[in-house]
Amino acid sequence: MSIVEAQGLTQRFGPTVALDALDLQMQPGVTGLVGANGAGKTTLLNAMLGLRIPTSGSVTVMGFDPQKAGHRLRAMVGFAPERNVLPDEMRAVDFVRHLAEVRGLPRGEARNRASDTLWLVGLGEERLRTLGTMSTGQRQRVKLAQAIASDPKLVLLDEPTDGLDPVQRSEMLTLIGQISKDFSINVVLSSHQLEEVERVCDNVVALDGGRLVACGPMSELVGAGDGITLELVDVAEPAGSVDAVEAALRAGGLDVRRHQATLALQGAEFEELCDRSRDAVAAAGARIRRLDTRRRTLEDLFEDAPR
Amino acid sequence: MSDPVAPEASAGDTADTARIIDQGYRSYDGPRTGLPGSVRSVVRYSVRHTLGLGRPARHKILPWLAVVIALVPAVVFVGLAVVLNVDMIEDEILPDYHEYYGFITTALFFYCGIVVPDILVSDRRNGMLSLYLSTPLERWSYLSSKALSVALTLAVLTIGPVLFLLVAYTIEGSGPDGLVEWLKILVRIIASGAAISAAFTAASLAAASLTDRRAFASVGVILLLWGSQFITAALVEVAELSEQIYAFDLGGIADEFKNRIYGIEGLDPLGDPDLSEEGEFLPGASRGLLSTRFVVAANLAWVALGTSVVWWRYRRLALSR
Repeated sequence: MSIVEAQGLTQRFGPTVALDALDLQMQPGVTGLVGANGAGKTTLLNAMLGLRIPTSGSVTVMGFDPQKAGHRLRAMVGFAPERNVLPDEMRAVDFVRHLAEVRGLPRGEARNRASDTLWLVGLGEERLRTLGTMSTGQRQRVKLAQAIASDPKLVLLDEPTDGLDPVQRSEMLTLIGQISKDFSINVVLSSHQLEEVERVCDNVVALDGGRLVACGPMSELVGAGDGITLELVDVAEPAGSVDAVEAALRAGGLDVRRHQATLALQGAEFEELCDRSRDAVAAAGARIRRLDTRRRTLEDLFEDAPR
Repeated sequence: MSDPVAPEASAGDTADTARIIDQGYRSYDGPRTGLPGSVRSVVRYSVRHTLGLGRPARHKILPWLAVVIALVPAVVFVGLAVVLNVDMIEDEILPDYHEYYGFITTALFFYCGIVVPDILVSDRRNGMLSLYLSTPLERWSYLSSKALSVALTLAVLTIGPVLFLLVAYTIEGSGPDGLVEWLKILVRIIASGAAISAAFTAASLAAASLTDRRAFASVGVILLLWGSQFITAALVEVAELSEQIYAFDLGGIADEFKNRIYGIEGLDPLGDPDLSEEGEFLPGASRGLLSTRFVVAANLAWVALGTSVVWWRYRRLALSR
């Protein structure tokens, strides 16, 4: 059963189309909601929470229509917004406890779970500190803690790694994966960092300018793909050797995508691609740094999307 | 003498008495409090926030100053009653219950102007509003929680000191005669306090809903309370327009409502009809000429107007992130 289903979901703000007739399904597990800034990720999350009335179309979350049964739905959902929403003077444990109570936990249970949740996210020792004294990484963890303290069925995380350094980002992603696997909490993770979505998510919904680019299990959308990746050494002598290789391969009828000195090749069998690459490189006097089977990434989804 | 023998714990005993103290994060299948629990939590948090409880000392100063302003005269009067040992109310040495509201007004204006706006403004400014609305709370239930918390804290000012007077006068021997009279005064204290709190809550939240700057909201509330008092008084007493203009004086019309609850009609708000006859300018003197029905309607209109402004503003409020 899908946890989120949208049909023709459209959200307009005046002349701007933030969501353009989205038809999508999100399956249980960790779903990555990816797209550039302004792609419509936050608008979709708001529509899922019932905070915005769609211009047209519909969305259901865990079988509930957010517009008709919003309070029942939101009792089962945790949300960590992108914006910094932490009151500086409040202690972390009080903040998490308060939000757990507001989400429906009895007072005593909320108090216990606030501490347990802060220990889970690695802030056990810091739980009595005021939020204003915490680092960006710690505040992101507090936002995650308040979202999961009430043991929701679904957690919506809007850019949870925003402002984190690589180590903190890795720890946060590990934590998100753990929450889903160990506690069976479904997660929708909004991010514009494609590699982090690839790392942790089971499913992906990719948006571009409000339009759906791709939707489905990560294993089907990325991974082993057709073609090869040919990385050349961009040498000074002979000049323009990479350009010459690219031109030769294109002239041979292959589908070539170039990023600096790396060429992604498709359009023939693997053996033939390798042979043609070898011949083109030899003819141009270029030098190969790497030749590999090509792996589809989330980036390819956006590049393949019709404009 | 034999060696003491330690009691042996059987495996069964251990299983019966052992408890896991630290269970860590785990799933929760117990009862949930639903919307009433959400409202209770926001009310509790907002009351504590407003009174500065659990916050640094600088946030406690203003709200508790308002409480002190409202309560200190009552403490002084009770002290005088005890020291002088006479029936202060009967001898008109100390103010009667309905007259004490004059001392509360300053605290009320101060509290509504300086403290109350923060209760809505801060949630909009720091984004807590969008977080609240991602919970079972809807806009109406969120606003109801906030209004209830303001009304409760205002009731501390409007009911607390007068209730203290009633209890203290009763203990001292200057209280109402008999249980029925005592209960009648108690009901009047609670009804007056609730009526004044409702009107002031609606008006101050309306001002707070219109701006994201707490200072602007404070100026708005103060202008509404003090400005309307002097403008309406000037229009009625100097320009000699209809005394129904007093409907626009929030503080005055709420005070007049209190007078009617105490059964006082036809007097000026200070209880001395002779002053205005001597030609002395007395703001609000002719409010006593208004019918009780008009006074009640005007107060309800203030509550309805304030509520409508807040709802209009929050219905239109866009939550981006």
